[in-house]
Amino acid sequence: MADLLYRAKNVSKRFKVGTRFSAQGLRTVHAVDNVSLDIAQGETVGLVGESGCGKSTLSRCLVKLYHINEGALEFDGTDITQLGVRSMRPLRAKLQMVFQDPSASLNPRRRVKDLVAEPFRIHTKLSEKEIQEKVAALLKDVGLLPDHGERFPHEFSGGQRQRIGVARAIALEPKLLVLDEPVSALDVSVQAQIVNLLADLQQKFGLTYVFVSHDLSVVRQVSTRIAVMYLGSIVELGQADHVFANPRHPYTQALISAVPVPDRAGAEARQRIVLQGDVPSPINPPSGCRFHPRCPRAQDICRVERPVLEQKDGAGLAACHFPL
Amino acid sequence: MLSVRDLCVSFRTEQGEALAIDHVSFDVEEGEILGVVGESGSGKTVSLLAAMGLINDPNATISGSIKLRGRELVGMRPSALRKLRGRDMAMIFQDPMTALTPVYTIGEQIAEQITTHQKISKRGALDRAIQLLAEVNIPKPEDAIHRFPHQLSGGMRQRAVIAMALSNNPSLLIADEPTTALDCTVQAQILDLVRRLQREHKAAVVFITHAMGVISELADRVMVMYSGRIVEHATKTEIFRNPQHPYTQALLETIPPLTGEKPKRLKVIPGAPPSLFRRPPCCAFAPRCAYRFEPCIKVPSLEGDRHQAACFKVHPPHG
Repeated sequence: MADLLYRAKNVSKRFKVGTRFSAQGLRTVHAVDNVSLDIAQGETVGLVGESGCGKSTLSRCLVKLYHINEGALEFDGTDITQLGVRSMRPLRAKLQMVFQDPSASLNPRRRVKDLVAEPFRIHTKLSEKEIQEKVAALLKDVGLLPDHGERFPHEFSGGQRQRIGVARAIALEPKLLVLDEPVSALDVSVQAQIVNLLADLQQKFGLTYVFVSHDLSVVRQVSTRIAVMYLGSIVELGQADHVFANPRHPYTQALISAVPVPDRAGAEARQRIVLQGDVPSPINPPSGCRFHPRCPRAQDICRVERPVLEQKDGAGLAACHFPL
Repeated sequence: MLSVRDLCVSFRTEQGEALAIDHVSFDVEEGEILGVVGESGSGKTVSLLAAMGLINDPNATISGSIKLRGRELVGMRPSALRKLRGRDMAMIFQDPMTALTPVYTIGEQIAEQITTHQKISKRGALDRAIQLLAEVNIPKPEDAIHRFPHQLSGGMRQRAVIAMALSNNPSLLIADEPTTALDCTVQAQILDLVRRLQREHKAAVVFITHAMGVISELADRVMVMYSGRIVEHATKTEIFRNPQHPYTQALLETIPPLTGEKPKRLKVIPGAPPSLFRRPPCCAFAPRCAYRFEPCIKVPSLEGDRHQAACFKVHPPHG
């Protein structure tokens, strides 16, 4: 493994829902449950899973938008677990996030040049002239025209708005970029443009990505490694090619097989595994292995004992008593 | 079954006239699944909303003809349309939560739909609702009819909506992105369900989606829409194995593959779809098209026999 950039160790994040007076009382959602993840310099880690699996919560924990309940976070050699808003600020420049909905993350009343200049005004002491040069260079980097800076966010299409969001995130030359469903809100024909843009920027600036998505084919395209999440935990972690070619966890296998793919010429016939039931509620997760009620391979031990994420006799890690 | 001819839908807005649908013609035959694909704003939803008579915006102008089993729907009296809707044709929407009333139980809502169109007692309608819920694989249907929508998961809600749509055995079922809001493993369940029900009820299904993969799993015939027009129309195998229109080809190439060799870079369609207000007077795809040549300054019509495409590259202009 190349140089370690980020280490998340045994991270848990719980949310309280309801009040003491609501019908079911005060309950706890275990959104992220004992997750450990090491991220190496220059790689792209794909986080996949269905809604409610905790992938977005985990990504927000990584950039400290949420305070974690348990565990430790180490970024670029610094322990950031206990850092507050103020002491985090200098590190923010190196640790940035891109959100799903580009229109919600851009102030509609400000011009694009001001939106993109904001990181410099907050974090640097550059002169106005220097900032303007930087902004012009950034707009060019993300494939926008110089005169786009004068416009407001609503004058752009969804794809262009996401480019603005990316420009803001890379402005201060961060080391790690956490992208939470960056292409999910975009049309298919525009999605590919952003995926390619991210690949170009990664190469140009040596960025490290955490790429969160529910779209497996996009994740496969961008990721070096993949972490599959189910009900708050990572159930499989490994090299992207490996995980897709030889999934070890039954959930991963079912998830990949459930993706409808266009019937291209020369495409191989695929075996579909249709899982029964829905993802259980993270308020009341099942005992033992959390996947056991839907798992075609479940046996008695799966109902009782929770499997740990460990090396299986391949390249990757899987949390399963009976891996494939 | 359903025959649409020269359908145009436009909306008057502050920014001017927006032509959402521009001379669209297609047929849906008995017992087939027609897939309609397109990006947002391509007119795929509006064209089917028009067919259901669900566009009652005073600023909308609808022209052309929509016939269901020979009966003209454009200009039909609302009361007559109401008798058809829910009985002869039914619709499944993208978000099941907005299609259900939060203040009535699932059973009451399905029973209401049945009693509206059939002479049947409330008790009988509720029994039928239980049967329908069982048919869409809802566990313990006798309990489920007493539940409110918020007590069900997204997948279960969508099943309840499907049960409701099927309650009067419609001959035409329109599904507008019914799986887009669902997770991938639940989507697979719903797609299986739609396929099974379509076989059992022998209904004609129009399935609207933006996902090429979903269309490929389900449809018999596929219609590709771009900027308010149909650009390609053929059987599923033809569309996927032998796409003719540059837009369809490009669309298929931009989707990253799930198996096999990973491309270094994804193929890209430059630019974005045109705005409905500033649609070019030429082929709408021309500004983004790699094969653009002189004739493309005109609008190509949909030509071809079994495999239709609206493109001058495929069907050179006459004369």
